[in-house]
Amino acid sequence: MNESVITLENLSIGYNGQPVLSGLTLSIFRGSFNAILGANGSGKTTLLKTLLGLLQPVAGRIDTASVDARLTFGYVPQSYQFDPVYLLTGFDVALMGVYGRIRPGHFIPPFERTFTHECLNAAGAEDFSHKRFAELSGGQKQRVLIARALTTRPDILVLDEPTAGVDREATAAVMDFISQICKEKKITVLLVTHDFSAVRHYAEKVIWLHEGKVFYEAADELLSAERMAKIFELGMG
Amino acid sequence: METIQQILSFDFLLRNSLYTSVLVGFACPLVGVFLVMRRLVFMGVALPQISSTGVAIALSLPLWIGFKLTEFGSHSAHALAFVGSITFSLTAILVLAFLERRGRGQAEGRLGSAYVVAAALSILLLSKNPYGEIGWLDMLKGEVIAISNFDLLLTAVTLALVLAVLGLFHKELLLVSFDRDMATILGKKVIFWDVLLYLLIGLTVSMAVLSVGPLIAFGFLLIPALTAHLYAHNMRQFTLLASLIGGATAFFGFWIAYRWDLPVGPMDVVLLGVLYATGWLVAKLLPIVLCHIQKT
Repeated sequence: MNESVITLENLSIGYNGQPVLSGLTLSIFRGSFNAILGANGSGKTTLLKTLLGLLQPVAGRIDTASVDARLTFGYVPQSYQFDPVYLLTGFDVALMGVYGRIRPGHFIPPFERTFTHECLNAAGAEDFSHKRFAELSGGQKQRVLIARALTTRPDILVLDEPTAGVDREATAAVMDFISQICKEKKITVLLVTHDFSAVRHYAEKVIWLHEGKVFYEAADELLSAERMAKIFELGMG
Repeated sequence: METIQQILSFDFLLRNSLYTSVLVGFACPLVGVFLVMRRLVFMGVALPQISSTGVAIALSLPLWIGFKLTEFGSHSAHALAFVGSITFSLTAILVLAFLERRGRGQAEGRLGSAYVVAAALSILLLSKNPYGEIGWLDMLKGEVIAISNFDLLLTAVTLALVLAVLGLFHKELLLVSFDRDMATILGKKVIFWDVLLYLLIGLTVSMAVLSVGPLIAFGFLLIPALTAHLYAHNMRQFTLLASLIGGATAFFGFWIAYRWDLPVGPMDVVLLGVLYATGWLVAKLLPIVLCHIQKT
């Protein structure tokens, strides 16, 4: 359980060489459920994109535990960002997760299609996977995108605001499912949100980005009333 | 019916024009669907015009350095035109796509300016070139008459190439268009696939402009894809339907133009426009009518 899967060493993140956040040093453990919390503009998405390799670190290092190959990230972006002009069904979108294992010019083998159906089923999205992705509700899109992340056979599941625009009932269902997957498949979860209440019952560890400072502690400790009051006092001071 | 039999017969005098129109009709929408999906519709308008300016400049070059085009022979002139067309298309699409990706400035403004300057430049070059009155004006008007065997072969080879590349790499091109971040995370070379798609679009546009002129190229790049989008349910249907609409319209446009002695290019484009408008009306009105019938 305490095997580190990602280690950040004095990491600075930002855009065009300008740091947004500096001095990030922490280890994320295999199979753990981690929430990245913070207000708008605190650097949550920048941190996520840097971990995913979409942005280069401004300074410092990201070490991964994978010896034989690079880590596979199952990425669940925000569902509203996709252009509805694409005539893709939920299944088509979920199937994209297997593209990383198929070389260019090769066709998708039947067993990968079967696996995609299994992932849709696991994410509770099989029933509406034949419908146009653009026409699904926010919660349904999230489930399809989670299924797509699972089809990559991920070491780490990375979710960007998975409950944004989703009602309270669907939020609880999505969070239950992610937590269950994390435990069953021993997948490390990194979940970005600004909604404390949505994750406090699920996350084991919280990375809290607050006014240029980074707090990385067990969720129960960090989100306790006393600790929060102390952090806010620090911030105000 | 008699006219259809006539234009389908093997000894039909304008058979190369017919075959080329239909091939362009099938090929252009295949890449046009990517222009529609990537919201690069204006590029579909500007690119053929820029490509035809490339042809105009390439064919003016010998005159500027003191040669007459007739001294080169028709094949050399054609090769020159092809080089001009493809150089301008590919340069324009790569530069415009790069600027588009950077997301700075107004893309519509850039494309509109490129279109109007390219059109004006074509007319200027045309006015100072004795060959222009004969050949270019027909090309700019979309008169598909003098199509050589070389043109036909070039069009067929380009269509085959576009089909092969799209068929083989469809999943990569689709993934990079739909979700660039996911493509990067999965280890795909996003820039490579972008450039490949743009080269494919540039090649198709060059071929279409050289064979049938910018007017038909405009029409066939965009209108079949926009029409197909109204009815298709998935990407396969979208691509196939757009290509079929393009090919079928090219055939019937040629037939009508031949039957009533009209220019083929404008006929094709008007037919595509009518089809799109009708398709749009039916797609919007049909659900309302069906709902009304169900209620009554």
